[in-house]
Amino acid sequence: MAPAQDKMPLTLEDLKTAPFDPRFPNQNQTRYCYQSYLDFHRCQRIRGEEYEPCNYFKRVFTSICPNEWVEKWDTQREEGTFPGNI
Amino acid sequence: MATWKSLLLQDSASPLMEQLSFFHDHTLLILVIITILVGQMMMGLFFNKYTHRYLLEGQLIELIWTILPAITLIFIALPSLRLIYILDETINPLISIKTIGHQWYWSYEYSDFKNIEFDSYLIPQTDMKNSSFRLLDVDNRMTIPYLSQVRMLISAADVIHSWTIPSLGVKVDATPGRLNQVSFTSNRTGLMFGQCSEICGANHSFMPIVVESISPKYFIKWISTMIEI
Amino acid sequence: MSNKNHPYHLVDASPWPILASLSALILMSGIIKWFHFYNHSLLMIGFTSMLLIMFQWWRDISREATLQGLHTYTVTMGMRWGMILFITSEVFFFISFFWSFFHNSLAPAIELGMNWPPKGIMTFNPIQIPLLNTLILLTSGITVTWAHHSLMENNYKQSTQGLMMTVILGLYFSLLQGYEYFESSFSISDAAYGSSFFVATGFHGIHVIIGTTFLAVCMARHMKNHFSQIHHFGFEAAAWYWHFVDVVWLFLYISIYWWGS
Repeated sequence: MAPAQDKMPLTLEDLKTAPFDPRFPNQNQTRYCYQSYLDFHRCQRIRGEEYEPCNYFKRVFTSICPNEWVEKWDTQREEGTFPGNI
Repeated sequence: MATWKSLLLQDSASPLMEQLSFFHDHTLLILVIITILVGQMMMGLFFNKYTHRYLLEGQLIELIWTILPAITLIFIALPSLRLIYILDETINPLISIKTIGHQWYWSYEYSDFKNIEFDSYLIPQTDMKNSSFRLLDVDNRMTIPYLSQVRMLISAADVIHSWTIPSLGVKVDATPGRLNQVSFTSNRTGLMFGQCSEICGANHSFMPIVVESISPKYFIKWISTMIEI
Repeated sequence: MSNKNHPYHLVDASPWPILASLSALILMSGIIKWFHFYNHSLLMIGFTSMLLIMFQWWRDISREATLQGLHTYTVTMGMRWGMILFITSEVFFFISFFWSFFHNSLAPAIELGMNWPPKGIMTFNPIQIPLLNTLILLTSGITVTWAHHSLMENNYKQSTQGLMMTVILGLYFSLLQGYEYFESSFSISDAAYGSSFFVATGFHGIHVIIGTTFLAVCMARHMKNHFSQIHHFGFEAAAWYWHFVDVVWLFLYISIYWWGS
């Protein structure tokens, strides 16, 4: 994960991504994506939006989740129809 | 890609495909041994005149032809199990690339840096160059850095598709609502071709996959130009 | 009939198998029509014809058994095995619904927010009507055993009473289930919870109604003196079936109503 997302030009050191997570050792990574999305929003709810360490989860779920899923969940949260516990 | 007159597996471009090829050869060897053995016995049965009215059972021979196939199967099962766990292994990857199967094209997302999204459509015969491969090339190729661990995340938007690159030893179903992971590394630079491998509707045959494996340095350049677009 | 030299029952020609098959066809088409066009006219025709055929077929069987004496000891052994295998198949029928319930509830999908019960589902309080229903069914298990023992001891009056009470308890159970369905805040189309809840408890409810009918028929036959103290397999089959329905309810109560809420 790039520490600075807007940094240009990119270098080889910027090639970083979400690490292997032993909670999700299988081919099915659906829950790695979803759990990171939940963790990010729980983290922000508890520690406030300015708390930098929360962004770790955000980088994980942006790397892992299909963008369409994230957009769908964001809409659901705005409309109050998100089924997860944040 | 598969070239003229090739009937067997494609040449491997990744360590996993190399292992898969070895396993294939190993299993094929056992198969040939069994076929010759059974064929020889069949021929022997066809062309002999021996009869034995009172031969009703043979415990020893039954024991042998029960245990021997069991041992043979173990010799296939153990390397197979070893391979299936190696294929599932995720070493900490360098990048994650997402691909979503649609009717009928693949879309790719690189979200580790800035968000890069593009669709990858087949180049129709009317638009293609004489030098390109018919029904196999796409307008936007998926680019990867070679000799680096790549994590592919595969899903679908409508029906089940399957993302496949034979020379990398990769074939993963793209299922709506589910995210599948596979990890691979490319041994060399070049182009790898594949096709959707799960019947997904009318244009199932016309949503190929092209992977462009280039050096990490050029990959960074490619990524940077993609961000600017 | 009198000069046969074997204990088996070779059945006479009967119109019911073909008619029952045809009405099953109509019933199934009626269900499809109902599901797709919200029109239950064909379903009602199929249902009525099926009920009429069932009535007449079983009336014929009870005549063969009681009046013609065709149900010898050997024949009843065949029927015992038949009933055992039928109930076994019913057990597996319910296992499939429990399987889907546990599949959905032990690791809830991300579409449910990984919650069980899913958000927005107001589950029933297991210690209210469901607990009462458990007591009703357990009591009915006692009364049906009482009826059975009275029958074996040639006590006509007490076996009538036992059967009567079992049937009444069965009806009361169905009434309470119907009331609870009516009060429910969720429907069969509300997430995996609603689907597995109503499919499992609904099929159980149908089985209770069938079991109650079976017992009521036995009661009517008993009052016409069809049963003797040594020959009453119809009643025993009904009792087995009733115990099976009872056990399914206990599993439903423990896993869906209690653990699942």
